[in-house]
Amino acid sequence: MAAGGGAGAIGARTPRLASDCDLEGLDLSPAEGFLLSRIDGHTPQALLRQVGGLPPDEVDRCIERWAESGLLVFVSSGPPARSGEGDSGFGEASASAARAPVAIDPQLEISAEAQQAALAMDAGLERPYHEILGVEPDADVRTIKRAYFGLSKEFHPDRYFRRDIGPYADVVERVFRRIVEAYELLSDPATRAEVQRDLAAAAQAPPEPQPEPPLETPAEEPAAEISRPRKRRTGPRPFSPLTRAFAQRRAKAKSFFEAGMAAYAEGRWLEAAGSVRLAIAFDPRNAVYKSRFVDVRQKVADVRFEQLTKEADSAMTFRDRGDALKLYEEALHYKPFDPQVNHTAARLAWLVADDPRRAKEYAVRACEVEPEQPEYRKTLGMIYKAAGLKANARRELQCALRLNPKDDEARAELKSL
Amino acid sequence: MSRVIGIDLGTTNSCVTVIENGQPTVIPNAGGYRTTPSMFAISHDGKRLVGHLAKRQAITNSRNTVYASKRLIGRRFDSAEVQKAIDLCPFEIVRGANDDPRIKIAGKTFTCPEIAGIILREMKRVAEEYIGEPVSEAVITVPAYFNDTQRQSTKDAGKIAGLEVLRIINEPTAAAMAYGATNRSEEKIAIYDLGGGTFDISVLDMSDGVIEVLATAGNTFLGGEDFDRRIVMHLLERFQEEESIDLRTDPMALQRLKDAAEKAKCDLSSRESTEVSLPFISSDDSGPRHLQLELDRGTLESLVDDLVQGTVKTVEACVQDAGLTPGDVDRVILVGGQTRMPLIQKTAGEFFGKGPHKGVNPDEVVAIGAAMQAEALVSDDKDLLLLDVTPLSLGIATAGGHFAKLIERNTTVPVRKTHIFTTTRDNQTAVKIRVLQGESDVAADNDLLGEFVLSGIRPAPQGGPEIDVCFDIDANGIVSVSATDLSTGKEQSITVNATGTLSQDEIQKIIEEHELYEVELKA
Ligand SMILES: Nc1ncnc2c1ncn2[C@@H]1O[C@H](COP(=O)(O)OP(=O)(O)OP(=O)(O)O)[C@@H](O)[C@H]1O
Ligand SMILES: [Mg+2]
Repeated sequence: MAAGGGAGAIGARTPRLASDCDLEGLDLSPAEGFLLSRIDGHTPQALLRQVGGLPPDEVDRCIERWAESGLLVFVSSGPPARSGEGDSGFGEASASAARAPVAIDPQLEISAEAQQAALAMDAGLERPYHEILGVEPDADVRTIKRAYFGLSKEFHPDRYFRRDIGPYADVVERVFRRIVEAYELLSDPATRAEVQRDLAAAAQAPPEPQPEPPLETPAEEPAAEISRPRKRRTGPRPFSPLTRAFAQRRAKAKSFFEAGMAAYAEGRWLEAAGSVRLAIAFDPRNAVYKSRFVDVRQKVADVRFEQLTKEADSAMTFRDRGDALKLYEEALHYKPFDPQVNHTAARLAWLVADDPRRAKEYAVRACEVEPEQPEYRKTLGMIYKAAGLKANARRELQCALRLNPKDDEARAELKSL
Repeated sequence: MSRVIGIDLGTTNSCVTVIENGQPTVIPNAGGYRTTPSMFAISHDGKRLVGHLAKRQAITNSRNTVYASKRLIGRRFDSAEVQKAIDLCPFEIVRGANDDPRIKIAGKTFTCPEIAGIILREMKRVAEEYIGEPVSEAVITVPAYFNDTQRQSTKDAGKIAGLEVLRIINEPTAAAMAYGATNRSEEKIAIYDLGGGTFDISVLDMSDGVIEVLATAGNTFLGGEDFDRRIVMHLLERFQEEESIDLRTDPMALQRLKDAAEKAKCDLSSRESTEVSLPFISSDDSGPRHLQLELDRGTLESLVDDLVQGTVKTVEACVQDAGLTPGDVDRVILVGGQTRMPLIQKTAGEFFGKGPHKGVNPDEVVAIGAAMQAEALVSDDKDLLLLDVTPLSLGIATAGGHFAKLIERNTTVPVRKTHIFTTTRDNQTAVKIRVLQGESDVAADNDLLGEFVLSGIRPAPQGGPEIDVCFDIDANGIVSVSATDLSTGKEQSITVNATGTLSQDEIQKIIEEHELYEVELKA
């Protein structure tokens, strides 16, 4: 990868402060001090070159010097930094980096058995998901979860926190990621059904011409040569029976989505919302559908708000005012901060429902949104007055009068306080 | 090997623990208290005070006493939360060079990580005195809903305090770890954490020492402080009603009211009614005025009912997020001092259909869990494992200002997710990838973590090119993002470096300044 620059091995090292180091006696410049403060046992040297606040070669020199003086030690090689080089903050990655073969190394802080187990798992990562978890294809969710927890205890990277496990850091992390993936797909009934359908389809289709990677390392042999050609993430995965069924579903989702967008363009919001919702059901991972859905939902909310306020207005004139209050409250559900509807709801809650608490809430909100509206102030003041809070009532009514000196009602209310 | 500690850096109180012979020990401070107020002050004679010493002089020195600064850390000065705090805090909050809120007391300006660093340093000192040797490493907890900036700012605070932060973990998760260390059966548990400043709810699945977070939700701006404020408002309204004096403009009276409100609130957790008595709270032409009021539990409950109901809504969403019904939860654990309020216990009990678990100390369990995670990371005995999750969703901005999530919140890390995007214009040859974090569907409402451009896309009609965007989070929470044009194989990538509100130079300067100050103290 480009990030390693010319000195890949050094870049991949991760320094941390030696546990017995003595920082007090150091004579460092502020810049060096900052670099030191960024050394946390997680950040590889390649990254420190970028974030350390010093020129990269200066960073290397400092780290070298501190390591020699015993201030720093190196943790395992750590994950390769994936960032690019240079000032731009990104770079082009060469796509062909091959994974080096990993051998059993008794020097590392990971037991030989654990190394063996990790390599065996790593070699079998393209197996069907249930095999990775070591459960039957029809295992229940509880069994799947137990298997996942058990494997996590063995392969979670935290198990080797700060241990020098060399190349196994990568192996363990890769294995754990796939374990999580298997668990996620199999524990959700929807994705699990897909997995099973695809497994069945794959069993019928002729096997893909693909050399099986060795699953197990014979224990007697020094397992020096287990390795796989690195698969390009961008290419099709060799074991990927899911792809076909997913593609079908995605196509279906796309047609729903397009229908939805067409309806949207013509202002048929409800229909648009229905179609986009279907698209999401068929392709739940599609982020674009989800984000467009928000728009559509907003439009539907707008429409609903309009309908409800209209209905409420007519209830005010022709029907029960209690009904009207309910309708206005429902409308507020869609637009909680509409000042006018809040104001009307406040008056109704006070005069019709006789609920000054609720009334105060609506009135306060109306005033918050439009503090300069004398009518809203007056209503709030009258509600306070009805609740017996005279001082507050006076404050609001005075405010209403200041905003509209001609309001006789407000003046009368204020006088009667 | 030097010892690792766990610190619960709370809005109101902080707590530090260490594992001794496999058992967690809560470390008392010099005064014998097991928690230390998260307060910092500069006294009239220029002394810097932390903890109980700062709290004791708060009433007479409210303008120079900082409390609840956790509510400000990692936020922008213009955010609604900071603006609200400016209205309510007796100390001065000013705009910092990076649009961060800074706190100005006794003529000196402090950044929020610096204040947190001072409190952490105090906790470190408490631990060192108890253990009898220097401590340099810690796990620190934060509210589950803290974003990247808030987390990184807390890490910076650790650095300022001279601590290497092994991990930042979520407060409710820490509580679950403490519980899971001793209760090893297969259970689904809910942690309801209502402290001084934040509310968190987490639902977890655990079995034999492995702890999986199923869902988390919360509100980083809701806590006991808000309960106190409701009581203060009530007292203000009543006093104004009776005496026609507005105490709102009198900082000293406000501070006394705030203290009395909290005390009354705590009283009402064990009694049905209490008296608030503040003699000589004010005066006017006709002489001194006293505030003397009876407050009963029912009134308190009606004052805060909507706050409590608000937590229920969040709990409901979280349980649903976990794919469960309330009845599926085997155990409910209440954490945080505010959960001592009977209304909270009743409400949580009613929601889950079972009484809360009694066996944990709500003030200490978070710090205990932090120490357990620290120990689990560094020790050889790997008996406890946290399957940690990303707290907030990650994704990219798409056309029209939308936010496309690639990694949903609560996803177990490490994780990698890819998704295919396309162009929106004909013959578009470059796309800008803006990496965002947050929950809003509107791109602009989320935090921008970084951005880069993928160019050299082969000219094609809109919607033609396929661009594969890959998100990767490693075990330490470091995010990297790459974009690949599938037809050419061309790829660009970045590693997103979490940043707090302080620049690198600023942190360094603060560290140096504090070193100077330490020297000054010693001399
Ligand atoms: N007996 C009690 N009854 C009601 N509330 C209480 C009681 N005891 C403490 N509290 C409240 O609990 C809050 C402090 O809780 P805690 O110490 O758990 O918070 P924290 O950990 O500092 O904050 P956070 O976790 O939100 O950052 C304060 O608001 C306090 O008033
Ligand atoms: Mg807390």
